[in-house]
Amino acid sequence: MRAVFKVVDRLLEGVRLDLARRHEFAAERVGFFVCRPASLVLDGVVILAHDYRPVEDDDYVDDSTVGAMMGPAAIRKALEFALNNKVSMLHVHMHDHAGCPRFSRIDARESAKFVPDFWNVRPEMPHGALVASKDSLYGMCWYPGKSEPIEIGEFVVIGSPMVFVRNG
Amino acid sequence: MNERYTRQSFLGPKSKEIIKHCRVCIIGLGGGGSHLVQQLAHIGIGEFLIFDADHVEDSNLNRLVGATQADVAAKTPKTVVATRLIQGINPNALIIARPQKWQESAAMLRDADVVFGCVDSFSERHQIEGTARRYLIPYIDIGMDVHDLGSQFAISGQVILSMPGELCMKCMGFLRDDLLAREAANYGAAGSKPQVIWPNGVLASFAVGIFVQLMTPWHKDHRRVWYLEYDGNSQTVATSNRLAHLSGVVCNHFSALEDLGEPFWKPTDLGAEQTSDGQALGKSAEAKT
Repeated sequence: MRAVFKVVDRLLEGVRLDLARRHEFAAERVGFFVCRPASLVLDGVVILAHDYRPVEDDDYVDDSTVGAMMGPAAIRKALEFALNNKVSMLHVHMHDHAGCPRFSRIDARESAKFVPDFWNVRPEMPHGALVASKDSLYGMCWYPGKSEPIEIGEFVVIGSPMVFVRNG
Repeated sequence: MNERYTRQSFLGPKSKEIIKHCRVCIIGLGGGGSHLVQQLAHIGIGEFLIFDADHVEDSNLNRLVGATQADVAAKTPKTVVATRLIQGINPNALIIARPQKWQESAAMLRDADVVFGCVDSFSERHQIEGTARRYLIPYIDIGMDVHDLGSQFAISGQVILSMPGELCMKCMGFLRDDLLAREAANYGAAGSKPQVIWPNGVLASFAVGIFVQLMTPWHKDHRRVWYLEYDGNSQTVATSNRLAHLSGVVCNHFSALEDLGEPFWKPTDLGAEQTSDGQALGKSAEAKT
């Protein structure tokens, strides 16, 4: 199965700016893309970004062992939003470099823990986790009915010019 | 060494690959669409999705690029003419050709990177734009018209780029509720509109230029909105004055969450040969290579 993520460049630029802001104690910031899905005819799903919801300053937990630790309030708010708006939620954070990013071991471990929780409120929706670099993206999609996440194989940034990031 | 694209290498070191992997959808393969198909094949587009429900008629031969007298006699579908045109230039292109109205397989548009519309009616343009916006696909519209001024005629036309997140055709004033309503009231009474080959060629060429700038720009003046107006009497093309009055305007016609994605989406594990509207891919296609 193919997974594609599409986002308008202005939204993505805004997300990068937000994620680059300094936090009082967290080394990095995180947030969520609010998305709606559609089936692709050639086997797969396209996840379409509509908006972005940053994790609020007070909803981080001070934990120096990780770049950013979301507190329970952050996750609760994201779950509530997914429930009330019937949306896919894709967690996003940023690695401060150019080129194709990858999940760290901590990213992969923590994403696998909390992303499937969105199925408790929106079991019919795909959810996921992304990491953005200065000029690229990488991510995984948890698709309903599939036990293992699938790599998002293509990112399309809608703008002028268009940007295509194809993995694999 | 394959030298086919050496003369367009100024488009960038990755341009050949970007264009090759691009999936374009062309709706309407008549006067405008046939020019588009030809030019897009020449620049190296690798994947085509083409729609037209009509077959070639004698009255098409004044402008339908690639069509022959034999096609009139054989009532060849326009999708077949387009497929033949593409394959004659680029035999490796993947072509999904549907000799039907695009609305019958609207789900297939989701796979496109860019949609071109070469249709006659405002309502159809409105539908295509709405579908493209729903799936975050840039839409490039072309069209021409001939106006009877009494003692003479005027040829006009337009090329519009409707980008997700930017001004739409309603914002630009090209689509208006009164025009849509008037067209709906006159449904079936339109008759055949005058059409000639050279304005279609001009408009299609500008559309391809806008497309290439979008995909692999050769300069840094990246415009996000295009509305070109063609005056076929003065033989000029210029940016519409309407855009000057829209600086700072934000489109709110497609901004709601409900305007995005597949309504009533449900997870499915579609097979590679199935469309989400239940049709086998390529079942009614002339060519899928």
